[in-house]
Amino acid sequence: MNNRYFASLAALAATGVVLVLAPAFATGQASSPVAKTTTAKTSTAHNAWTPPRTTDGQPDLQGVWTNNTVTPLERPKQLAGKEFYTDEELQALAKQERERLSQIEEEGQPAANHSGVEGAPADDVHYDFSQFGLDRGQSKLAWNRRTSIIVGPEGKIPPLMPEVRARLAEERAKAKGHEFDGPENFNLGARCLARVNVGPPLLPTAYNSNLQIVQGPGYVAIEAEEIHDVRMIPTDGRPHISKSIHQWYGDSVGHWEGNTLVIDTTNFTDQTPFKGAQNLHVVERLTRADEETILYQFTVEDPGMWTKPWSGELPITKIDGQLYEYACHEANYPLANTLRGARVAEAEAAKKSAK
Amino acid sequence: MRAKLLVLVVLLLAAAPAWAHHAFAAEFDQGKPLKLKGTVVKWEVTNPHSWIYMDVKGDDGKSVTWMIEGGSPNNLYRLGFTKDSLPPGAEIVVEGYQAKDRSTRAVGKNVTFSDGRKLFLGLQARESDPESKK
Repeated sequence: MNNRYFASLAALAATGVVLVLAPAFATGQASSPVAKTTTAKTSTAHNAWTPPRTTDGQPDLQGVWTNNTVTPLERPKQLAGKEFYTDEELQALAKQERERLSQIEEEGQPAANHSGVEGAPADDVHYDFSQFGLDRGQSKLAWNRRTSIIVGPEGKIPPLMPEVRARLAEERAKAKGHEFDGPENFNLGARCLARVNVGPPLLPTAYNSNLQIVQGPGYVAIEAEEIHDVRMIPTDGRPHISKSIHQWYGDSVGHWEGNTLVIDTTNFTDQTPFKGAQNLHVVERLTRADEETILYQFTVEDPGMWTKPWSGELPITKIDGQLYEYACHEANYPLANTLRGARVAEAEAAKKSAK
Repeated sequence: MRAKLLVLVVLLLAAAPAWAHHAFAAEFDQGKPLKLKGTVVKWEVTNPHSWIYMDVKGDDGKSVTWMIEGGSPNNLYRLGFTKDSLPPGAEIVVEGYQAKDRSTRAVGKNVTFSDGRKLFLGLQARESDPESKK
């Protein structure tokens, strides 16, 4: 994560990349199978459906939501070229998901075998997710017909630029063997500082994949349950902050296009690189599709990182209740335990080699 | 180790983004599986994971308090669990792995009541069907 700053954000905006990206979103609502699926029962009603308004007249996106999903970010190999499931396939997928969960609730999660050799004994110490209410199927899922969150015929993150591949490999090699040297070697998530699911882009996390949206005049606030961060998005037309200021979750400014909230985010730091990007630019679009659904669309780009921009789309669905406090460090014993475990393992190894 | 957990998460939860709160294998010892039977002392309902304290009587008759890592309270609440669901004195059985530093801490692979009922399951109708609406 020892990256350099790139300071060409202004140049990037000046070259009109934002405009170039715009058509990528255009496929969104009208023809989107997501919207069709989520409103399958009331498609006529959907056409007539107008989102509620806040007191200051903006489309109302407020509420507690989840983007918990079975849809992977990238399309699995076996589904290459197939962007959408049919309704029948989606039902089959749901059935399969129910059966999977029933089975593991009954028999326990199969122990993980990471060796790559079929039938090899499990080698991981872990708890059984379903036994602790942590399985994604035990929470409400936002279903849609997409086979991957990433849209388009490829459904994959575009290839990395060669120099980026080299940089990431170098970083990995440097970190190897030092994962548990000290707390600073742990990722920001493990240190309860920042998580990638907070976004942007907002992506599902393994569990607690929930968020709350609150609006006030001139602002939209998005809070991710994990891990306590609130993105404050002004919608009053102000420009981005100075390009010399970099923030963990970047600098977001928003505006309304009809019923859609459009958020533009730049000014990220090199401390929270999304997949290793150093010059990230994210555009998000949130559109209330019906009472229970927000269609979430995003495009990310970093010309020095990926060979082209890429876009994703997933529904966000309403859930009951509130967000619970995620006082992450309050019981973060694993950090200390892991360091202690590593020291014990080192001492044992030293003893062995001294013999 | 982080990579290992990532692989697991990807396998089990294809949609899960790549983060790992834990380095389980660095924290707990796969060579020290254990089965503990005892009574709940308290349940620390804290994020990111709850911790169950239980008294386990050894062969010498002495009680030792163990700390067992459990699920995220946020999820458990949503599944209908409350702070009263695991009262002090409840008899439970834990299967898991001991901490690498040999302290009386463990990751609970599963936790059941002593009559075999599963602790955290069967709490609420799931909402995971495509057509499910509230």
